[in-house]
Amino acid sequence: MSAPLLSIRDLSVVVRGDQGPRTLLDRVSLDLAPGEILGLVGESGSGKSLLCRSLVQLLPSRAISVTQGEVRMGGRDLLALSEAQMQQVRGAEIGMIFQNPSSHLDPLMRVGDQIVEGLRFHRRLDRAAAKAEAIALMGQVGFTDPPRQFAAYPHEFSGGMRQRAMIAVALACDPKILIADEPTTALDVTIQAQILRLLMELRERRGLSIILITHDLGVVAQTCDRIAVMRQGRVVEVGDKRALLARPAHAYTRALIASHPSMPVTNECSEVDDQADEAKVASLPPPSAVPARPLVEIDDLHIRYPLPGGLFGRRRSFSAVKGVSLQIRPGETVGIVGESGSGKSTLARAMLGLTPIADGHVTFDGVTLRGQPRVALAKIRHQAAMVFQDPFNSLNPRLTISQTLTEVLRVQGKVPSAAIPARVVELLALVELDPELAGRRPRQLSGGQCQRAGIARALAVDPRLIVADECVAALDVTIQAQIVALFQRLVKTMELTLVFIAHDLAIVRHLCERVVVMHHGRIVEEGPCAEVFERPREAYTAALIAAIPDIDPERRLLAPPVEKLAS
Amino acid sequence: MSAPVSTQRVNRTLIAGLVIVGGFVLAALAAPLIAPYDPIFQDGAARIQSPSLAHPFGTDNFGRDILSRIIYGARVDLQMAVIGVFFPLVIGTVIGAIAGFFGGLIDAVLMRLIDIILAFPFLVLMLSIIAILGPGLSSFYIAMALVGWVSYARLIRAQILVLKNADYAVAAVSLGFSRPRVLFRHLLPNSVAGSLVFCMSDAVLVLLSGAAISYLGLGVQPPTAEWGIMVAEGQAFLSQAWWITLFPGLSIVLLAFGFSMIGDALGEAMGVHE
Amino acid sequence: MHRYSFILMRPLQFVPVVFGVSLITFILVRMIPGDPARVLLGARATPTAIANIRAQFGLDEPLWLQYLYFLRNLANGEMGMSIVYRIDVLRLIGTRIEPTFALILCSVLLSILIAVPLAAIAARNQGRPVDHAIRFVSTFGIGFPPFWLGLMLIMLLAVRFPIFPVSGYGETLGDKLAHLVLPALTIALSLSTVLLRSLRAAMVDWLKSDVATAARARGMPESIVFWRHVLPNSIAPTINLLAVNIGWLIGGTVVIESIFALPGMGQLLVRAIFSRDYMVVQGIAMVFACATVLVNFLADIATVAADPRVKL
Repeated sequence: MSAPLLSIRDLSVVVRGDQGPRTLLDRVSLDLAPGEILGLVGESGSGKSLLCRSLVQLLPSRAISVTQGEVRMGGRDLLALSEAQMQQVRGAEIGMIFQNPSSHLDPLMRVGDQIVEGLRFHRRLDRAAAKAEAIALMGQVGFTDPPRQFAAYPHEFSGGMRQRAMIAVALACDPKILIADEPTTALDVTIQAQILRLLMELRERRGLSIILITHDLGVVAQTCDRIAVMRQGRVVEVGDKRALLARPAHAYTRALIASHPSMPVTNECSEVDDQADEAKVASLPPPSAVPARPLVEIDDLHIRYPLPGGLFGRRRSFSAVKGVSLQIRPGETVGIVGESGSGKSTLARAMLGLTPIADGHVTFDGVTLRGQPRVALAKIRHQAAMVFQDPFNSLNPRLTISQTLTEVLRVQGKVPSAAIPARVVELLALVELDPELAGRRPRQLSGGQCQRAGIARALAVDPRLIVADECVAALDVTIQAQIVALFQRLVKTMELTLVFIAHDLAIVRHLCERVVVMHHGRIVEEGPCAEVFERPREAYTAALIAAIPDIDPERRLLAPPVEKLAS
Repeated sequence: MSAPVSTQRVNRTLIAGLVIVGGFVLAALAAPLIAPYDPIFQDGAARIQSPSLAHPFGTDNFGRDILSRIIYGARVDLQMAVIGVFFPLVIGTVIGAIAGFFGGLIDAVLMRLIDIILAFPFLVLMLSIIAILGPGLSSFYIAMALVGWVSYARLIRAQILVLKNADYAVAAVSLGFSRPRVLFRHLLPNSVAGSLVFCMSDAVLVLLSGAAISYLGLGVQPPTAEWGIMVAEGQAFLSQAWWITLFPGLSIVLLAFGFSMIGDALGEAMGVHE
Repeated sequence: MHRYSFILMRPLQFVPVVFGVSLITFILVRMIPGDPARVLLGARATPTAIANIRAQFGLDEPLWLQYLYFLRNLANGEMGMSIVYRIDVLRLIGTRIEPTFALILCSVLLSILIAVPLAAIAARNQGRPVDHAIRFVSTFGIGFPPFWLGLMLIMLLAVRFPIFPVSGYGETLGDKLAHLVLPALTIALSLSTVLLRSLRAAMVDWLKSDVATAARARGMPESIVFWRHVLPNSIAPTINLLAVNIGWLIGGTVVIESIFALPGMGQLLVRAIFSRDYMVVQGIAMVFACATVLVNFLADIATVAADPRVKL
């Protein structure tokens, strides 16, 4: 390795709290070589973002401070610089892009002006030259019509284009190092693939060094040269990408790799996936001989939301679901996948009678929702339950877990009141939640614990059907793997029918027998998981699969062509 | 994070607010015990006396002791603030919850009604209603109930509209909970925090309005001791006897400050921004 | 649709509001106990005059028909006669608009001049003594009764130190402005506390926001972060707050004009209430209500201009 461009030595960061100081970063040492992409991997709370913030002295609170260590760059210790000197480093030497471009771009300022700001401040260009340069930069990061888009506001762009805008804003200061903090986490996979591709191109073209912070080992495997794994403020393992992924030395790295939901393909794909694969095989229910009556039958379903505005004349509406037909048989495990805006969540809610139907039919166990709404709803409410994406917001914040479960049991009336406390304990055991936690409120629990409580609440109905809407999307990978394993066990032991909605194809691949791919409110493809994922018939499905960053560096990710900008 | 520091500050603010408001409540309750003089007793020999040991806040043009009048005045002003907040709070919460939860025609009609009431400047509508009902404290309460519910209704409605789409509300519906149960057990308890905080700033507003209306001569009638009237009575003697006007005004400021501090502390503790 | 096309559409939404306002003022006056004609004309009214009024307003007709008559008269620009001034209510109000309008304008400008710099100082020194001091003063200031504050200002700046006139309104522009200083200051001190608190809170939030962090990460000095990113984003929501408070502000002028003897609509309203000049009360309530609707409309335009995301 050549002489490092940036060298972090024994960096420790501490927060002063009421119970004395707490160490957030513990003697972290890392090097970044010129032109290198270093992946910084870890779960939430591992300190990976904080590490990058402390490099440029942008700590999130006054209570947090660097206690020891140094950060050497170009013969200086960055930590010893004054605020004025630091301003010359920020942006001009070390640039940053962030997870959520929508909140990091100034909503009141034209995108072009935000790029111009850095050009004028750091590179001292005059207004005209700055504008010309900004337009050139916008072209470089993939804007289709820079002169026109220069004058647009951030909200007029899609998430992917906003991230490109933020990259352009960072590049305008002409940094040597770019810190990318979860730059693709909020994006759809196909867009993620494009942004990652762009970052790699920029590295080639500008000789940029990049620190890529992510929780997704697949992203790292596809883009980085070296990987540093962080946990609880420490770097547990650093090394060359291939070596580290093939022979992880630290137990935590091994756990992280094992939890990563990857697409199992032909055998070459190593030992790391075995565990998950076995679980999947075991979870497959015995193939049903008799085709039973479908539990849920959806026939040419249309769902429209009215759009605000349009006081006079035509009332505009947005079609979320356009003519979907689908049958779900009892005991089946069906995955519904698609990118944001594909209508998958709307479809899920329609199945449970939670959203008005514009046209078509939803039939639950032989009763149609529009034909006999009362009977059908009563049936659905007693036989189906939902698990939500956000583990905190799906539980009433004022009620303890046991109050929540008790209420459901009482309203459902399937368990005699005397038996309710015992049933609550049983439910908690079923989702592997410590009974000690029953008296806590959602805010006092972790995300994974909350999600288990959410599943327990669904199970309290004693349902035949569970609809899980992106229920692992907000969780760390290791927790994700645990929840998926929990679902596998529940499905196997309880004769449940599971509709599992996710944007993550790999998880669906592990968990479900059948998959339904949605795009723009329509079903583009459906069939048994193995078939659809290995031999997708539709180009869209193929693109979706190809865009998943695989943990195996040899299976390159394919970015679909640049999204067409809606004008 | 800096949580402990700010919790400490919140507690200090809350305690200070409670001490101030509590002090006035105690003074009002124990008025006959602690007031040195009868609030409406006119001492012809002690007219317009500047503050002294015998009369710490001085006397007015009828020779009445200002301090005693302020202590008795606390009864009226506190009562105005409490009743003036209570009825609008209850009426507004019910109306706002119904409008937000059921939506549709009920919501549309109630919202138009609110738009119309809000089109009138608050004090102008209050004064017009009082003009018709005739001056007096009960007119003030009626006018307050007719006008004041609007803010609470809007607050609660907005909260309910947001929470109606919260996952736990959708979950409650999907679990077969009845509509009243969803509204009263799940939505309402989670949406009142904002109104409870607003109550405190509203108490300030009501206190100031009540005093202003009395100052204009349309509220409590003389010779009852009330801070707004006392300011009005001192106005004519402003240049020669500042104390007649100053002390009742300061009492209003202090009580209002107490309410504001409680409101601030509650707001920060509950994470509510006005 | 163009972002500003609501300017053409919105006035149509005022129609139901203005109808509602007229209905409420109509009901208010009809609720007065006793014979409306006698109430409207006062005790000295001749039987002929009472008969005329009865005919004019159709007081023997059913209530809904009376309301239609009332609307018809309104459409002709007639709100009835003032029993005290013996002239048409609308013309009477017309002579009183200028001082009220000038007072409100000066108060708003003055309160912005007070609130914005103080909020900026407090927010940029969050948690430091300056911030605590400014917050303390603003929390304290919210509880100042305007009528009392006005009297204190008179005592201090007109009586003790005769810098400004005690009361009344002038003839020339300079004279008028001199007379407006104290009343406007009284209102501004109250209004600015409300603005200050909300503006400071918004600024503190935006200083901690991702937008500010991103700007700092680009090496922007704190002054650019504040003036170019934090301030514009904090002001947008305050426009709305100002509009919401305009109703409160107009109410405040009622009291303030009475204290400072400013010959405006507020003073007229208070006098009309005491002299039971109900047609004037009704007229002023309607004019004030329409003005509030108009101000909110202007605030909507300002909000759309300040924030490119807002669509109405």
